[in-house]
Amino acid sequence: MTRLRRFDFVRLAALCGSGVALVALVALGAWLAIGSIAAFRHEGLSLFTGNDWGYRQESFGAAAMLYGTAVVSLVALILAAPIGIGTAIFASEICTRRVRLAIKMLVEILAGVPSVVYGLLGVLFLREWLYALFEKLGLDALSGDTILTAGTLLAVMILPTVATLTDDALQSVPSRVREASRGLGLTRAEATLFVILPQAIPSIGGALLLGLGRALGETIAVFLVVGRADNLLPENLASWRPLVDAGQTISSKLGGAETNIAVGDPLHSSAIVALAAILFGSVLVVTLAAEALRARAAKVMGR
Amino acid sequence: MKRRRMLDRLFTVAMAAFGLATLCALFTVVGIVVWRGAGAISPSFLLDELRGAGADGGVFYHIAGTAILVATAALVALPISIAIGLMSHGYLGDGRGRRAIEAVLHALNAVPSIVFGLAGLALFVNTFRWQKSWLAGGIVLGLMIVPTVAVAFLEKLRAIPAHTIEAASGLGLRRSMISTAVLLPQAASGLVTGLLLGLARAAGETAPIMFTAVIFSGATIPHGIDDSPVLALPYHIFVLAQDSFDPAALQKAWGAAAVLVALVFGLAIAALPLRLRIHEEAKRV
Repeated sequence: MTRLRRFDFVRLAALCGSGVALVALVALGAWLAIGSIAAFRHEGLSLFTGNDWGYRQESFGAAAMLYGTAVVSLVALILAAPIGIGTAIFASEICTRRVRLAIKMLVEILAGVPSVVYGLLGVLFLREWLYALFEKLGLDALSGDTILTAGTLLAVMILPTVATLTDDALQSVPSRVREASRGLGLTRAEATLFVILPQAIPSIGGALLLGLGRALGETIAVFLVVGRADNLLPENLASWRPLVDAGQTISSKLGGAETNIAVGDPLHSSAIVALAAILFGSVLVVTLAAEALRARAAKVMGR
Repeated sequence: MKRRRMLDRLFTVAMAAFGLATLCALFTVVGIVVWRGAGAISPSFLLDELRGAGADGGVFYHIAGTAILVATAALVALPISIAIGLMSHGYLGDGRGRRAIEAVLHALNAVPSIVFGLAGLALFVNTFRWQKSWLAGGIVLGLMIVPTVAVAFLEKLRAIPAHTIEAASGLGLRRSMISTAVLLPQAASGLVTGLLLGLARAAGETAPIMFTAVIFSGATIPHGIDDSPVLALPYHIFVLAQDSFDPAALQKAWGAAAVLVALVFGLAIAALPLRLRIHEEAKRV
C-alpha cells in the first residue's frame, strides 16, 4: 500500500508560526540567563542581600528593590483582595444573572484603562490626597511619593483582575451545591461562606496570585508615584514609617534612566538584565502557580 | 432564626458595599479622565500637530503613531496566534503537545511589559542598530499580546463540538482542510475577540515601546525602518506626568489621556458581544 503523503503547507505554516512564539520565549529566557551571569559573578549573593546599588561604585546590591517590589505588591493585594472577592460574591451569589453580567462587563471594560493613565491620576490626585492624609495623621512623610501610594494605585489596577477571576471561580461551583445547601435551610450568607467559598478556595487563590503577578510586573504607574529612592530599607518594620517612605521597585528601576545609561557598560547592563531576570522569574513562578491552582480546581469541578 | 436572618442581611449589605466600592473606584478613574480631558478635546486637538513642548496644538501624530504601532502588532500577533491554534487543535492530540502550548502561552503572558521593552532595546536598538523604530515597537507589542489573542482563539476552538470534526474527517478531509475549512472559520470569532482585546492592551502600553520606538516630539509618519521613531499617546502622557509643571501642557496630557481611554474602550467594547457569547457558550458545554 503506497500512500502518497502530500506536502501539507498548513502544517508547515502552523509549525513555523508556533515556533516563532516558542523561539521568542526561549531566546528571552536565554538572554536573561546569560546576560545576568556577569552581575552574579561580580556580586554573588549580595545581589539579593546587599543594600548598596550604585553603578558608579560598581556595586549592585538590590535588596531595597526586592523589598520595594514585595511590599508594594503585597499592599496592593491586601487592599484589593477583600474588595475584589466581596465584589465577586456580590455579583455571583447575590445579583441576578443579568446584573452579574452587567457588572462583569463594566469591570472588564474598565480594566482596560492603561497603566499610564493610572499613573497620571496617581501623580495629580492620589499623591496629594495621601499626603494630606499623612499630615492629618501626623506621619511626617516627606512627600506623597511613597510605597503606600504605589500600593494603593496598584490595588485599584488589579481590582478588576481579582474581581472577575474570583467571580469565575465562584461560578464554577456547580449550582447543585447551592441548591443543596439552600435546601438544607442555610441562609445565603451561610451557604456562601461555609459551602461555596471553601469549594472555590483553590481557584480564588489562583485569582489572587494572578493579581499579584500583575502587580509585581507593573511598571509605569508605580514608576510615577513610588519616589524612586535607591537603597532605602526601613529600620523599624513595626511602624507606619516603611509605608510612608519613598522606595524603589525592580520595575521602576528598569523603567528609569539607568537602563539607557547602562548601554555599553557590560557589568552595569548585566546588572540591569539580572534585575529583569529576577522580575520575570518571580512573575513566572506566581503565574504558573496560579494557573496550576486554577487548572486543578477546574478538574475537580468537573468542567 | 432571627439572628441568622439578620446576619444574612448584613452579609448582603456588606457584599453590595464591596461591589459598589469597586464600581465607584473604576468610575472615579474614568470620570476624572473625562472631566479633565473633555476640555482639551476639539477638532483641532485631534487634527493638529503638537507644538511648544506639548503646550500647544494637538495630538494628530500621536494618534497616528499609536495606530501604526497597534496595526503592526496586529500583523505580528495574528499569524502567530492562528498558527498556535491550528497546531494545537488541528495537528496535536489531546495530550502533551496541547499542554506544552498552553504552558508556553502562560509563560509568555508572565513576561512583564518592561522586560519586553528591555529585550526590544537589547535586540533592535543595540544589536540591529535600528535606533528607535516603529517596527521594533510593533514587533514587541505583537509578541506581548500573542497570549491574549491565542487564548481566546483556543477557547473558541475547544468549544467546537467533537462530532463536527469527526464528520469532517469522516468525509475524508485532510487535516490541512479541516484546519482551514472547519477550525478556522468556526473559531474565527474567538480570534477577532482576542485580537481586539490584545490591541486594546497594546494601544495603552508604555513600557515596551519607550526604549525602542517612541520619542517625545518631532516625529511624524515614519518612512523607513531604522531611525524611524513615532510619537505615541501613552508615552506622551508618561513624559508629561513626570515633569511638566506647565498647566497648558498638562491640560493637553489629560486630553491625550481621554483620547487614549476612548480608543482602548472602543476596542474593548467592540470585543464585548462576541466575548459574552463565548463566555456563556463555554459554560454550557
